[in-house]
Parts: sequence; structure tokens; C-alpha cells
Amino acid sequence: MLSYVGRRVLYSIPVILVASFLTFAFVRATFDPTAKLRQSRTAASAIREERQHLGLNEPLVEQYGTWLGRFVRGDWGTSERTHEAVSAQIGRALWNTTQLIVWSVLLSAMAAVAIGVYSALRQYSVLDYTFTGLSFLGLALPAFWFGLIAIEFLAVGPKQWFHLSQPPLFFVGLHSTSGGVVDYLRHLVLPVLTLTVGIVAGWSRFQRASMLDIMSSDYIRTARAKGVPRRRVVLRHGLRNALVPLVTVMALDIGALFGGLIITEKIFSVPGMGKLFFDSLLAGDATTLTAWLVVTAAFIVAFNLLADLAYSWLDPRVRVA
Amino acid sequence: MNAPRWLRGAVAVALGGVCASLVVTPSLADPGRSAPRASTGGQIVIGAEQEPDCADWIDACAGESWGLWTMQEETMPRVFDVVRRDGRWVYSPSILMAASPSLSTVNGAQVVTYQINPQAVWSDGVPITSADFAYTWDQVAHGADIFDRTGYDQIASVNDTDPHTAVVTFSTPFAGWHQLFGADYGVFPSHILAGHDRDDAMKDGYSWSGGPFKIQAWDKGIDVILVPNPRYWGPKPRSSSVTFKFLTDTAAEFQAFQGGEVDAIYPAPEPEAVDAVKAGLTDADSVVNTDTGNIEALWMNNAAFPFDSVAVRQAVAYAIDRNAIVRLLFGSLGVTTATNSLNPPILAPYSDQQAFAGYHLDLAKVTQLMTSDGWQKSGGIWQKGGRPAAFSIQSTAGDKRRELTEQVLQAQLHQAGFAVTIQNTDANTLFGTVLPAGTFQMGLYAEVVTDLDPGLCTVLCSQNIPGPANGNSGENWTRTSIPTLDPLLETVDTNTNDAARVNASKAADRIIAAQQVTLPLDPLPNLAIWSKRIHGVDGDNPVYAMFWNLSQWQVH
Repeated sequence: MLSYVGRRVLYSIPVILVASFLTFAFVRATFDPTAKLRQSRTAASAIREERQHLGLNEPLVEQYGTWLGRFVRGDWGTSERTHEAVSAQIGRALWNTTQLIVWSVLLSAMAAVAIGVYSALRQYSVLDYTFTGLSFLGLALPAFWFGLIAIEFLAVGPKQWFHLSQPPLFFVGLHSTSGGVVDYLRHLVLPVLTLTVGIVAGWSRFQRASMLDIMSSDYIRTARAKGVPRRRVVLRHGLRNALVPLVTVMALDIGALFGGLIITEKIFSVPGMGKLFFDSLLAGDATTLTAWLVVTAAFIVAFNLLADLAYSWLDPRVRVA
Repeated sequence: MNAPRWLRGAVAVALGGVCASLVVTPSLADPGRSAPRASTGGQIVIGAEQEPDCADWIDACAGESWGLWTMQEETMPRVFDVVRRDGRWVYSPSILMAASPSLSTVNGAQVVTYQINPQAVWSDGVPITSADFAYTWDQVAHGADIFDRTGYDQIASVNDTDPHTAVVTFSTPFAGWHQLFGADYGVFPSHILAGHDRDDAMKDGYSWSGGPFKIQAWDKGIDVILVPNPRYWGPKPRSSSVTFKFLTDTAAEFQAFQGGEVDAIYPAPEPEAVDAVKAGLTDADSVVNTDTGNIEALWMNNAAFPFDSVAVRQAVAYAIDRNAIVRLLFGSLGVTTATNSLNPPILAPYSDQQAFAGYHLDLAKVTQLMTSDGWQKSGGIWQKGGRPAAFSIQSTAGDKRRELTEQVLQAQLHQAGFAVTIQNTDANTLFGTVLPAGTFQMGLYAEVVTDLDPGLCTVLCSQNIPGPANGNSGENWTRTSIPTLDPLLETVDTNTNDAARVNASKAADRIIAAQQVTLPLDPLPNLAIWSKRIHGVDGDNPVYAMFWNLSQWQVH
């Protein structure tokens, strides 16, 4: 197992390197880090100095090499937009996004597996149809729309209907000035709910399909014929194998979530990775964008790796192959 | 197939977990302990549409209005306030001054003398002195990566011999001297910053203050909290704290106001905001201010086809129903007529506010102008020498108000025989690359003035056309070059005689209109909305916004 893990980790390194080079070249070709200086009255000299400072006069490969060396040593540069260290900006944004993702994924995984298994075991039951309908609804609802509706009906509406001094759930940021655990939870519910609805809808369909496939397998029938208790058949033989495709989907989705919450973070004013990307893009902050893209690419590669490892753990034949 | 009991239980637990986070959590809430704002404690929460990129106010990273409104005007001492007197906005010496700054001429040089209020102190108790004026000038005039050096680069020296008197001597006349050490930058504390990296010390916020509030915390991306400066020598703030929460989504901003998460908002007049106001806001007061420092206009590249022809520029002006566009955008706010000067409304005393009034929808006039310029219609579009009267209009992508304006313009101009395409881009590319390089035909954007001094020379004098002579940094992006206009606008910039400035500025307005250099659209009204729980809000200020008297706000 250890050599398998080592092999997979080694495979990931060139992938990240290629991704980082493409990202670097793409950003360099698209954004000019000195554009903002053009409005300065001393633009010509300022641009000259800045180009020199950033090494923009060197060949692209040389620029990449210098950048990579610094990046690996933790020097991710300084944001042209805020003059803040990019590593600090991304660290802060990553922490906020991680909070949303962890809670959403935990709740989604529990709900999706439970709904998927139940729907598979009680195929075509009333609840199965209900879950199927709700899943399609969840998949069809855009996050921005659901988020705004959730704010209206779970926060603004109750405050006005019941003449409360404040809404029962907050929807601006992740905490208030006064802070506290309850305050944190009241801020967390709506953005997490918005994320969870879409995720559960997708994952529960995977789990249902996978479980149905497994439960009709010969070895399940054999186990049942041998008198293995139903609970053991479902959990040990059915669920474990049915989780394999879902784990892959989950890992890919989680990796993508680190850079994909732009709308949710904007609606709920959460200063996470999505919002950082959006702000940096609008400002043409090339240094931040480069680091951001590399970090999110690294997350996708890392979660792919995790998917591979989980796959091999759930199905030992994979690592042997 | 029946589901076993344990499975039903698991489903119930999983769904229960989701529901619990919705239902149980709020019921645990203790409003007194975890409220975002305590309405009885004098804590005010304001929604801010944009987060400042940095708090080093003179650096290129700090150009946003929200930087001025959230932190700068509350913490930086300034020499002049902008107040309304006899129906017009004027400069008034601030509480920092012991007397009104005086303008004089010494040995042929312009000199401004600032008498500093002896009671004025920084938050650490150190007096605000002339050394602070000298330090501020030095940083702006000679520092690196400065946002704008205008005026400061014309100062020859700042005499700080007398700590209570700063004597500023100019190398060349600067008519807009009122704006120095004012709204844009203020005065910086030399005893704290001198010898240190100013940008490093200020960019993420600072603990010192020379205003009514101090910055307690700036939680990037979330909020900035201001608390009273106990050493402020002026009227003490009435609230115990003011929090600006960053809400960049307009819909969420209004929901936050309706939901009570914020007590006041100052939204840009985007269609969503206008619609929300039109729909009605409960328990709220609002004010719409058209007397602003903004001018939204159609900026034509006078050096690019087809706008290198005066007749075409004039024809385009006659092809547009500007009042219809203004009514569409802001009619429900009571704003129904287009602006008729390139000087914004707050500079009305310096402008001919009817200069462009003659340009209204008149298709017969369009035909007359175009045919006399050698154009002929073919397939509904004007053609000349085989080239159609086709052009693109560029603006900031994602701005719904501007996109709507462009669509209306496209339709109106098509009806008059012009083929218009919309080609929007991000603000950074537009203002940093496209406009300076002159690779545009028509731009839709606003000119925003943050002081009471006219200064169109920057954007319309021929010497400011980007080129080798000015290191490509000129801001006359429309490539306007009118020999009779330059001296007038230079007079406005350099003559310290106000009457002469007024005359020159009005004459310039008329030339700009006659040559149809660019076409003003609307004053981009300011919109202030606040909860009835907040007392002390006193309208809108074109420079300091609704926050000009923030220290006097309190929770009812």
C-alpha cells in the first residue's frame, strides 16, 4: 500500500508542475501587472521599474523558474491590488472557504448516502419518488437563486413576520463583531444549506444508482442465500462497494469546490477563495491570480490522489493492478 | 423490499442533522450576547458595497471612494470640509484650522498659509503641526507609486518653522489649492510615519487617528470597525462603534438592510437598487442626491473613425434621446433630465449647465449633418467612401446599468443609421490599457470629482493626449485637440482669481459642446438609505457621502 501511495504522489508532482506552468503562462499572456501604473503621471518610469522588479523582461521560461523557486519557498509575491502578501490573502480566503466546505460536505455525505441507500433498497416507493423529485429540483436550482430565496424565507421574512429585533439566521459573513459559537452557527446555516442542497442532489443520485447496481449483483444474492444477515449484506457487502464510485465523485467535487464557490461566497459576503478570485480578476491582480490558480489546481490534484487512495482502500484490486 | 428499522433510523438521523442546523441553532441564540449589533448600545452597522484595497491613502492601491467613506474621512484630519451654503457646495475651514487658510503672493510665487488649531492632536496626544503638512507634501510629491500628485508636485516648499503655521509656497500657480491636504489625502502624522515605510505601516489599517474615530479592526473581506477617538478635540461621536460590513452583492445588500443586519446602505444607483427603492423599503428613510460630483458620459475618440469628424459627433448627439435614457435609469428616483455640461452639478458655478441642451433627439438634423459631411445611407446605415458609420461602445463589463444604457443607445443609434456593437471589458483593462492606448471609438464611463475645483484640462487639453511627451501617461483619452480650448482650461487650472476661472470654464464648456467632444448623459445620483432607528443622518454630501457627519449618528 505504501509503495502505491508513494507512486501516486510522485505521479502528481509533474501534473502540478505542468498545471503551474500553463497557469503562469496564461496569466502572463492575459494580464499586465503594470496596467494600473499607466494612469500614474510618472507612468513610463514606474512601469519600467516595475517590469524590472517583476522580471517581466526575461524570457517566459526564466520568469517561470524564478517564480516557481520563490513559490516553493513560500514567497508567493505581493498583491498588486492590496499590496498584501499573496500567501496571507490566500491563507485567509482558504480558511473561510474550508469552513463552508467541511460543514457542507459532512452534512451532504451523511444525507446523500442515507437517501441513496434508502432509495435503492426501497426502489419506486413513495419516498424514493419524493427523493428523486427533490434531487432533480436541487440540481435545477441555481445557487444564487436558492441562496437569495433562503435569505428571504429563513432570515428576512421571519424577522418581519414575527417582528424580531434581528433575523433568526444571519447572512453576512461568517461571524459578527461580538462573535461566539452560536453567532458562528447562525451565520453558517444559510451558506452551508445553499451548498448542501446542490451537493446532496447530485451525490444521492450517484449513491442510489451505485447501490442498485451492487444489490443486484451475484455475490449479494449468494451472500443472502448463504444466510448472511440482511444488515451485514447491506453494510458490509453492498454499501462498501457502492461507495467506490461515490468516493471518486466526492473527491473530485470537493477539490473543485475550493475554487468554485464564487456565487455562494458573493451572496453571503464570505471572503473565501471564490470571492478572492473574483476581486483579483476584476482588478487584474496577476500575482494573486497566478498563485490562486496554482493552489486550486493543487487541491484538485490532491483530491484526485485522495480519490485514488480511497478507491484502492475500498477495492484492493485497484492497487494490485 | 422493506427497509429495515436501522436504515430508516439512519435516514431519519441524517435528515434530522440537516434540519437541526436550521431549526435548533437559531433557537439557541442569545440576541444580547451574539448580536451583530446591539441596537441599545449605540453600535451602528453600515453596509459597504466595496472593500478598500488598502488604507495607504496616497498610494496607487487606494483610489476607491469606499476607502474615503469607511476609514479615511473618519481618521485623517483635513483642512477643508465641503458644506452646503446658500444652495451651493463650498469649502469651509475644518476643525483642524484655527483660521481660514489664506492665499497670497510672495515674490511672485503663490503662497498658502495654514493656521493650525492648537487644540488639534493625534490620538496619542501629540499635537498636529506644520511638520505633518511638510511630511504629507514630501510623501505625495516624492514618494513611489503615488495615486495622484496633482498640485503637490507644484509645491516648492513647506515651511514648518512655526509648528502652528504651515506656509506652502508653490513653484507654479495652482488654482485648485483648496483640495490639497483635503478630502483625497488629508494630513499624515510625521512623528509616527517619518523614517518608516509609510505604505507598510498604513496599507492594512492603522491605530492612530486625527479624526473623530479610530480604526479598531479591519477584518479583511468582512468588516472594518471604528471606535471613538478619545482625544478628538471636536464633537465626540455619539455611537460607541461603527462597523462597515462589506456587502458586494447588491441584492444581498438590500436583503441585509431589510433583515436588519445593517442600519444603513449607500448603494450605487444600479437598476437593482433603483427597483428596490421603487418597491418600497419598510422602516427606512432615504435621500436621492443629484447634486453630485459625477458625470456619466459618452466619451468619443476624436482621433478615431468615425468620430474624427465633428459632424459625425454632432449627428450622434442628435441621434440619442438622452432624457429617455435618464428616465429609464433613474425615473423612479425622480431624476428625469440629462446633464448638459461636462462639469458635474457640484461645479455648477463654474460651468454652463445648458451647454449641451441643444442636443436632443432630432433625426432630421442627423440627416442634414451626415449628408453635408459626405455620407449616404445604404441599407439603413450611413456610408462614406465605402466605410459604414459603424463603431463599438466600450464600458465596464458586468455593470448592469451601463449594459442597459448601451442596449438603448444601440437601438436609438441604429434607428438613426449608425451600426453599434457593444464591446465591454473589465475596468482594469478599460482604464489601464484600452483608453490610454486609444484603441476605442466610444467609451461609456463616469468622471468623478472629489473636490470643488473644475479641472477638465487633465482630460481635454491637447498636451495631455497620451504620447512620448508625457510618458504616455496623459489622461486625454478622447484625443481632444482644440487650439481655442487649451488656454481656457489652463486658465481654469492656474488662475487663482475665481471670477477669471468661472468665465474661462463657462467659455470652455460652450466650445466643448459646439465641437461635441463628448456627450454628457446623467449626474449618476447618489442614493442613501438608512433605518429609522438611526438618528442624526443629515442627507448626502457629494464628497463625503452620507457619512460626512457619521460621528453624530446614533441608535434611537
